[in-house]
Amino acid sequence: MDKKSAVIEKQARLQEVEALLKAPAAAPLAPLPREVLVPEARQQTPAVRQRATRPDGRLHGLGQTKYIDDYYLPGMLYAKIKRAGIASARILRIDTSEALKMPGVMAVITGKDVPCNSFGPSLKDQPVLADERVFHAGDGVAAVAAVTEQIAAEALEKITVEYEPIRPVLDPLESLQLETPGLHAPNPNIYGHKVIRKGDVEKGFAQSYRIFEGSYRTQMVEHVPLEPHASVATWDANGRVTIYSTLGRITLGRADISRTIGVPMSRVRVIATVVGGNFGGKNEITTEPVLALLAKKTGRPVKCTFTRPEEFLASTTRHPLVMDYKTGVTKEGKILARQIRLVLDGGAYCSWSETTLGKACILSAGPYQIDNLYAEAFVVYTNKTMTGAMRGFGAPQVCFAYESQMDDMAKALGIDPLQIRLTNALREGSLSPTSQKLHSVVVRETLLQAAQRFGWNEDGGGNGAQS
Amino acid sequence: MKRRGRGIACMWYPIGFTVAANPSAAVVKINEDGTATLLTGTVETGQGSLTILAQIVAEELGVATEDVHVVSADTDTTPMDTGAIASRTTYVTGNAARLAAEKAKEILFEVAAPVLGVKADQLEVSDHKIQVKGFPQRNIHIGDIAERARGVNGQPPIGSASFNPATVALDPETGQGKPFATYVYATQIAEVDVDDETGEVEVLRIAASHDCGTPINPMLVEGQVEGGISMGVGFALEEEMLFDGEGRLRNPNLTNYIMPTSLDMPKVEVDIVDSYDPTGPFGAKGVGEPTCVATAAAICNAIHDAVGVRITSLPATAEKVWAALQAKRAQEPRQLAAGA
Repeated sequence: MDKKSAVIEKQARLQEVEALLKAPAAAPLAPLPREVLVPEARQQTPAVRQRATRPDGRLHGLGQTKYIDDYYLPGMLYAKIKRAGIASARILRIDTSEALKMPGVMAVITGKDVPCNSFGPSLKDQPVLADERVFHAGDGVAAVAAVTEQIAAEALEKITVEYEPIRPVLDPLESLQLETPGLHAPNPNIYGHKVIRKGDVEKGFAQSYRIFEGSYRTQMVEHVPLEPHASVATWDANGRVTIYSTLGRITLGRADISRTIGVPMSRVRVIATVVGGNFGGKNEITTEPVLALLAKKTGRPVKCTFTRPEEFLASTTRHPLVMDYKTGVTKEGKILARQIRLVLDGGAYCSWSETTLGKACILSAGPYQIDNLYAEAFVVYTNKTMTGAMRGFGAPQVCFAYESQMDDMAKALGIDPLQIRLTNALREGSLSPTSQKLHSVVVRETLLQAAQRFGWNEDGGGNGAQS
Repeated sequence: MKRRGRGIACMWYPIGFTVAANPSAAVVKINEDGTATLLTGTVETGQGSLTILAQIVAEELGVATEDVHVVSADTDTTPMDTGAIASRTTYVTGNAARLAAEKAKEILFEVAAPVLGVKADQLEVSDHKIQVKGFPQRNIHIGDIAERARGVNGQPPIGSASFNPATVALDPETGQGKPFATYVYATQIAEVDVDDETGEVEVLRIAASHDCGTPINPMLVEGQVEGGISMGVGFALEEEMLFDGEGRLRNPNLTNYIMPTSLDMPKVEVDIVDSYDPTGPFGAKGVGEPTCVATAAAICNAIHDAVGVRITSLPATAEKVWAALQAKRAQEPRQLAAGA
């Protein structure tokens, strides 16, 4: 670079600096961007049918949502629950003395410390902490409150429980055969039974062109919410307990907590903050009474958050079903009669089994007009994780059965799967299996719309074509 | 070799409890500026129900969703609610919230009637205004009336109401009766690829057509359908709690209990069918649970379409599909190769 151009460059830079020095302190007003003033969906009227965003969405997105596990109250202790680890047994002795000696352990309780050690939405067959009998491996037998989670977990190892094992019953069909009183005395083994009878199935089968029979089974699954069950209990000096909990049903929860800990409802406050997924799994109390009792005993707030294994072992799950279907149809695929037997594996405790039993039984016919129907459903105890409310209450199970059979019938009769469903679908004013006159029925509309969206009638899809 | 199949499944599902009473109560307080607060005992469990309830109250009061703040899930401050269960929040709690808003609105109408020189029953709400039916130019801002209700009439606009679905008990012998107030319907069609050598199933796409009555918030309905389908895919293909002979759970963890991740999600195409239920709030029913009902059946029908095996027990794991394919091949008459 020669001297001359260097001078020119230097001068240019000086001019730039000078211009900057002369510039006003505040930037000049830029012309406003042209905005189209359309309010957000949240700000529009009418409000219904708007794709309004959720006010909690911003908090979730920014990581600012406070879940129960984020709560810390001054002086708070951490609770852990000792799980039985054996599916069926009589409890002979629980020794908590070694755990109590551990530094940092503030309290240990067992079922004997629970004022009313039973709860449940219909049958009150579930203990807060098992004290005489273990009905499944996830039963809690003792609870520890300690200054850290780790000390509480270590203290569980120091608790010794002596069991007299009893042969577990694991298969629902075996449980169905067991005589009363069965494994869960004094309750009968079959603790729920439902029948739906409409028309005359024998007559319907007699008139049928063909009869199809099928047996179907479904498995036990967990809700797996991202946020595990968690709660914090804290008492005030007036003898009022406040429980922050991941409950989806605070009204029932308060009633159960009040009853089990023996405190009037007016002295129990339940606050369910933001719940990080429920799917039916957080519809009843789990550790809340235990925490309330530990907090009372220690005079300090107590928190417990389930581990992931505890979600599987100690919360409710979906009922496995054994389903037998017998269906009589005409040559054109019209269903004339259907006979159904459902056996629900209820697990160790009743929980929401009665509701599941009812819904499964009523829905088992499918969204079809069937004049002759006989559906019978049983729910039985087994020594497995209890089953309860889970998204669908028996409906995903029976839908798997009735829709599998529907396709088998269509194939055998040479009818398109869409057509056989349209032939049988409920219509406006149809009578349900319980002879309820149905309104705003749109089965056919959903069938046709889904078929159109999918391109059902277009060639080239499916039928085992190489892809 | 991968083989393609498609399967259809439809379903019906009720809203609310089976016969048993499952009421919800709600309180709506209209503030002095025309915004409102809803008190409800239901719990937001991630599904967006509080937004739906805010939209219902806003619609009834003629204001925007953002103008309604929802206080929920505190037994000390919020009224009784049966809770976030049985796909009942939009229908049952929604009806209670709408009725509570209607009662609060009636107080506003009483205050506004002499101001606008008409009877209270000649008034309606629209876009933050109380106006005379048929004469929308004769109107007054809802905030002005709410302030007047407090400051002049001494009548704060607060409404409370409850709702319980109408049912008839089932006959114990025959099960006949009216267990639910209303039902929703849906169809899902799945497209899958099945590897006929390994039994592995990949769900490619699902067309889901759902009825929820009036979609109070179509975006949240779509969210429910997509979430329900993810649960349905897990139920169909992967998830299973396995017990040993002693009744101990063998896979109580997410390493051995396999559930779908976002990578396993098929393409989901959601349609909301035209539907209106006169018994629901603004014609709405519900959508929560039904979204996961038909998925497994549709996928298993698609597997059958692809490779001709009927899976009769869930989940349809690769091992199970492979075993069924082996069994099917064993039964098929062996064909001699050409020229042999």
